[in-house]
Amino acid sequence: MRILLIEDDSLVSDAITRGLVGSGYVVDAVPDAESVAARLADTHYDLAIVDLGLPGEDGLSLVRRLRRSGSSLPLLIVTARDGLDDRINALDLGADDYLVKPFALPELAARCRALIRRATAAAANEIVVGGLRIDLAGRRALNVAGEVLELTRREWSILECLAHHSGRVVSKDRLTQAITGWSEDISGNAIEVHVSRLRSKLGGSATVRGIRGLGYRLEDG
Amino acid sequence: MANRKHPASVHSRLLSYLLAPLLLLLVAGVAVDHHVIVSPIHSAFDHSLSRAALAIVARIHPTPDGQAQVALPQHPPPPLRAMAGEHFFYRVSLPDGQTIAGVPDLPLAPDSQSADGFSYTNIHYRGEPVRLASYRTNETGSPITVTVAETPLRRDRAVHRLDVAFLINDTIQMAAVLVIALIGIRIALRPLQRLSRQIAGRPPLALSQLSVEQVPSEVLPVVESLNTLLGRVRDSVLSQQHFLANAAHQLRTPLTGLKAQLEVLNRDTAGTPLQERIGLLQGGVDRLAHTANQLLTLARAEPSVHRASHFTSIELPRLIGEVIDSSLDRALAHGIDLGADSQAAQVTGVYWLLHELLINLIDNAIRHTPAGGNITLRCGIEDGRAFLEVDDNGSGIPLAERAKVRERFYRGAGSTGDGCGLGLAIVDEVARVHRAQLSIHDGRSGQGTRMRIDFPDAG
Repeated sequence: MRILLIEDDSLVSDAITRGLVGSGYVVDAVPDAESVAARLADTHYDLAIVDLGLPGEDGLSLVRRLRRSGSSLPLLIVTARDGLDDRINALDLGADDYLVKPFALPELAARCRALIRRATAAAANEIVVGGLRIDLAGRRALNVAGEVLELTRREWSILECLAHHSGRVVSKDRLTQAITGWSEDISGNAIEVHVSRLRSKLGGSATVRGIRGLGYRLEDG
Repeated sequence: MANRKHPASVHSRLLSYLLAPLLLLLVAGVAVDHHVIVSPIHSAFDHSLSRAALAIVARIHPTPDGQAQVALPQHPPPPLRAMAGEHFFYRVSLPDGQTIAGVPDLPLAPDSQSADGFSYTNIHYRGEPVRLASYRTNETGSPITVTVAETPLRRDRAVHRLDVAFLINDTIQMAAVLVIALIGIRIALRPLQRLSRQIAGRPPLALSQLSVEQVPSEVLPVVESLNTLLGRVRDSVLSQQHFLANAAHQLRTPLTGLKAQLEVLNRDTAGTPLQERIGLLQGGVDRLAHTANQLLTLARAEPSVHRASHFTSIELPRLIGEVIDSSLDRALAHGIDLGADSQAAQVTGVYWLLHELLINLIDNAIRHTPAGGNITLRCGIEDGRAFLEVDDNGSGIPLAERAKVRERFYRGAGSTGDGCGLGLAIVDEVARVHRAQLSIHDGRSGQGTRMRIDFPDAG
């Protein structure tokens, strides 16, 4: 996996490069937006990390230019600006995620992993959470051992919905909406029953954590 | 503001300025009216008195010896009759003073040489004020003077009645003028009230210009000065925001570099004695980063920084969901069960500030709750007001400390190293921006702390 880092501050750039290399990525760092085109022309990247406060052309303008040129390269914005306007602006322009400085390296690595996984999953039409592989096209889930899990349609719908937002809390209401296609009156308790059956079928591949008063979250093993 | 209860309101001042002259005018009006009616009434009554004198003259007959004789009937005719409480006197006398009939001691009015032979005067007679008329005539053949007098009870009563009528009439007129003036004042002040409504109806921190439409020319300078002021405030707010964005960037970028470099260094030196010192450095940098973040948040939570456009309608259950989503890992890392108990509720607010408020309350709760404890976020409506609550079953905040914890940089006795003492100051500031109230209670489970934010009435 190859990552292009566009960051002008050498202290930050050096640390991110070292950190991500340590996590197994290949990282190319450039200090300004002007050097990006040349890099993209001859190298395939799985992700670009863009600092918004660049000298010369700023990060937002770079994001806009990349998206206008039709690039689908996943873009992670890192910035010192944390205003809501900035965030919405960046996401509207086509950035995929947004991380405010100062952040911890493990968090950056996690975001990179998630973005790359999402892009790969979209291409392969599958989502991987921990040891669990969810094949969206084939509507089936495989555990660590590669065995296909026997799921009812409702359990599948719940898993699919959780997998689409893996690592995020999904409310009970949302899960209810996801399965009401098959039944008109599904109560919150019914969701709990389906989730607990799903849990036992997942085994140790992935965990469905219940959040009191809110919903569920699909987590790595 | 044209508040009628306010002593210095334009309304009451105009009213008091009007009231005194109107009262003076009333008194003067009644006095003039009195003066104008008194003389016609007096001449009317004098005329009636003169009829009485003429009626007496008609009854004077010369005796065969040339002496005048008065024959008055037992019951005098109407002009000679006195009303109850009224006295009537007459005297018929000769030029030499001899009295032919009537009361001899009745004085005569001085001869005024008038064409009709009548002369009038006011005198005191038998202890009473009387109106006196003397008629000098030769009709009976020889010069004779008929003098009549009456107590002025009837004419006084007539004048008095008319005075009262005028007073009532003038008072009604004045009251009408006053009411019309009041209505006029109210109508004239309407543009002012519209202006105050326009100002009062603005979102709390709106800095947009006031409309000068329909503003009367007298108030226009005030509105224009206000607009100039608002413009200046907006400029300074914008430059403050610009400054904060710059400060944030200048602080956060090197902090990010330091943090990340130390993490890499920590990994690269795994298993060496350097690790311990790197760990200390990391702790210091983390604290620095946290404090810088909190300071920036606090500065940006200042009410003056927020434009009306930042205020949106926020569903509290959704906000709670998102806050839990982003705080769950921290709570789980401390072995704390983080959950929600949300009822439908909606407020108008600045989303990221309320998000920041809840994050700070949760951080605070996590610091005071041991592993195995739980933290519950609540929202709903009570007495028509929306509320947010963060309830933990941890160690709680002693009563004596509850007032102090809102102060900036205050850290409680049991605080651990990672807090900078700005968390609750931020919460307090954000609450202020939303005109909401922060209160600290005991946890619902009987132990721990319940931080509660009460929003103002919807609207």
